[in-house]
Amino acid sequence: MKSTAIGILAILLVSAFCVLLLLTVDYHGARGGTDNPYLAAGASETGAVNLVSGIYLNYRLYDSLFELLIFSMAVLGVRFYLNAEKSTKPNVARVAESPVVRIAADLLFGPIMLIGVYLIVFGHLSPGGGFSGGAVGGTGLLLCAAALGAEVVARRFHEQIIEQIEWGILLLIILFAVAPIFFDRLPLTDLLPSGRVGKLLSGGTIPIYNGLIGIKVFIGTWVVIYSFIRHRGEI
Amino acid sequence: MTARTVLLLLLPALAIFSLSQRRRLTAVMGMGLFSLVLAATYLFYHAPDVAITETAIGAALVTFIYVLAIRKTGRLVVVCDEAPRLIARDGGEIVGLEQEIMHGFARELGLDLVVRIVPRDDVGAALNRGEADVGAGGIIREVQKKAELISMGFLPSALYRVSGGIVKDAKHLRENEEYFEDTLEAIREQRSLSMTLDLARFLAASRLNLSNYAVERIEGEFSYCFLVSQDQPELLIQLNAYLTRLTESGEMERLIERYMS
Repeated sequence: MKSTAIGILAILLVSAFCVLLLLTVDYHGARGGTDNPYLAAGASETGAVNLVSGIYLNYRLYDSLFELLIFSMAVLGVRFYLNAEKSTKPNVARVAESPVVRIAADLLFGPIMLIGVYLIVFGHLSPGGGFSGGAVGGTGLLLCAAALGAEVVARRFHEQIIEQIEWGILLLIILFAVAPIFFDRLPLTDLLPSGRVGKLLSGGTIPIYNGLIGIKVFIGTWVVIYSFIRHRGEI
Repeated sequence: MTARTVLLLLLPALAIFSLSQRRRLTAVMGMGLFSLVLAATYLFYHAPDVAITETAIGAALVTFIYVLAIRKTGRLVVVCDEAPRLIARDGGEIVGLEQEIMHGFARELGLDLVVRIVPRDDVGAALNRGEADVGAGGIIREVQKKAELISMGFLPSALYRVSGGIVKDAKHLRENEEYFEDTLEAIREQRSLSMTLDLARFLAASRLNLSNYAVERIEGEFSYCFLVSQDQPELLIQLNAYLTRLTESGEMERLIERYMS
């Protein structure tokens, strides 16, 4: 009886919260307007058609850098703690063969990777970017690991090398962010020309950041997944 | 009603659906669907970037990781050798009293039942290796050596010693190391054997010609039970509680009537 009352109360509270959230949605804001300075001058200033990329990799690059740092810390934490706590089952067993998963992986792995690369490369022109592209690639790798076994996939990546690449990329991104200082400019300003808006080679450093972030997220996702798989002893 | 409103109303509905599921796989699928609808909502609010990330992480990656995580925990693995009427293959299905009990027990725990048929001696070994949660298939409570956790008895039984045979066969002199199917085959061919059979198996064997075998009933009170993996003492408590409830509600009697009469 008491648990039913608590249940009903919880449903009421959650419903009330939902209604509150719905009321706060600003329907007019979603339509946009040209009075916003970012909307008015964003594309010409950053060279990125995709304003979202323009904002988080140009105007708000500082935010994105720290976001990336948080992601790196999360990956580091997973790796550190799971390696410190030795697994009871050191051998990663080969996953049971399932024709459904195998065929799905064979068919989907290529397209998934292609979509991942597309999202990264065209991040400044169309929706996407390094974060989402890297996550899509990581998902593709997980599918591959489920179909072929984690060890088969892990053998392709030399653990030490990808660790160095991961941290190298982080250093490179920070280097890119501070490089303008050496050219008597403020840090975080765009050194490269923004190019012709709408072309693949445009957006200044945005495509470079997208590429670096994409590789970093891709490696990070795999490292986290592989740490969990190895710790558990099976996929 | 616009598409936006429909999507926004779907979100809490899907969230409540996921939360109220007993079966974990259904709950995870509900969560994946929630993420997908959320991504569609983002798209309708002109946020395709967030929608892509939500699809890649929320609907794909997280769902995938959850499915992998519950792959092991989401099922109740029962190992057994076949014992007619208790747990045995019938066509493509596994039927019997113990199957029925385990099915109900798994459903109560919100798990999927997986039954694996192994030779009788391998039941304990599979439990010790942690490959299974429950051992079944005509296990006699009174002869267990306490290597595993033993549930309460749920059905009286008896033990019979069957020995003899005409055709000499060294392979079949060993006891309990084979599938019950092979034992039946040996009796059918009248090969020599010497083994102890529980009531359910003995009844199945007695349909064949046992005239060349010496049959002796072993004195004592016996009952059927389940074995539970040693790593899971709390599962034993749950199983015993479930068996008690079945007995008290009269459901057990109905099941026994159905399979044993």
